[in-house]
Amino acid sequence: MSQAQATSDALSADAGRWLDEHGDYLFKYASFRLRDDTAAEDAVQETFLAALRAYEKFEGRGSERTWLVGILKHKIIDHFRKLEREAPIGEDVDEGPEHVEFFERTDQWVGHWNADRAPSDWHATPAELLERADFWNVFDDCLTPLPQRMVSAFTLREVDGLKSEEICEILSISVNNLWVMLHRARLHLRNCLEVNWFKHPH
Amino acid sequence: MADNAYDKLKHSIRYWLLRKLPTCQQTVEKISQSMDRKLTLRERINLKLHIWICAWCQWYMEHLQFIRDTARAKGAESPDLSSTSAPTLSSEARERIKRKLAGES
Repeated sequence: MSQAQATSDALSADAGRWLDEHGDYLFKYASFRLRDDTAAEDAVQETFLAALRAYEKFEGRGSERTWLVGILKHKIIDHFRKLEREAPIGEDVDEGPEHVEFFERTDQWVGHWNADRAPSDWHATPAELLERADFWNVFDDCLTPLPQRMVSAFTLREVDGLKSEEICEILSISVNNLWVMLHRARLHLRNCLEVNWFKHPH
Repeated sequence: MADNAYDKLKHSIRYWLLRKLPTCQQTVEKISQSMDRKLTLRERINLKLHIWICAWCQWYMEHLQFIRDTARAKGAESPDLSSTSAPTLSSEARERIKRKLAGES
């Protein structure tokens, strides 16, 4: 057996093992961010292909999973970028719901909370929600009505903690635009979670 | 008696401040921005004062932080933590990726 053949077989074996050991984890990582199973599967496949090509750079330094997640992060960002490029041109930018109805429109308290829509005590901690699949279904449903670009911005900022400038570059938007979108996404999501989850005992 | 006078004074200050300060609608926008950039000194003072007298906006601020903490923890969770509720690669996707990888290597 030639050396090239041996290397190729070893690579192939590694690729199969990667899929078994890390496939589900990477898929979960991607689907939480992309909210689209097909896109998440593609991102995982792209990650393994890129890992095969870059194998000699890895050389067993550090954890294999950390290395793969590092590649996957780039693939996810590529996907958000692609969604922006494919967005119809010329259409008005959908800035999402403004939710002016959360605030008083008349009388002396104009601009202050409408008592029916004002925040209340949640009596909860983040830790207890991590394993609640039903909570994450509500979370996902709450994001669904928002424009894709707004959800991308929210995910990159709140889940991955990217800096404003990085997100602006990925989504080709101004920083003021980003702040408006993040504000509206949070305003909407906070209310939606309160109404659909925190107001009812689970 | 003294308590009553104190309450009245507190109420007057609160009322006066609420009329002077930016509204809740303006404040929630600043609360959001405070999570993405450093506010100016003036913005910070207005925000602090508003939060001091407005329980609703105080909760709002706590909730935004709660959502961030929860989303970040979920995004970073370790694999062993949530083996039960985890979405998994479908067998079709798994086979497709396997074929693709075999073709490449």
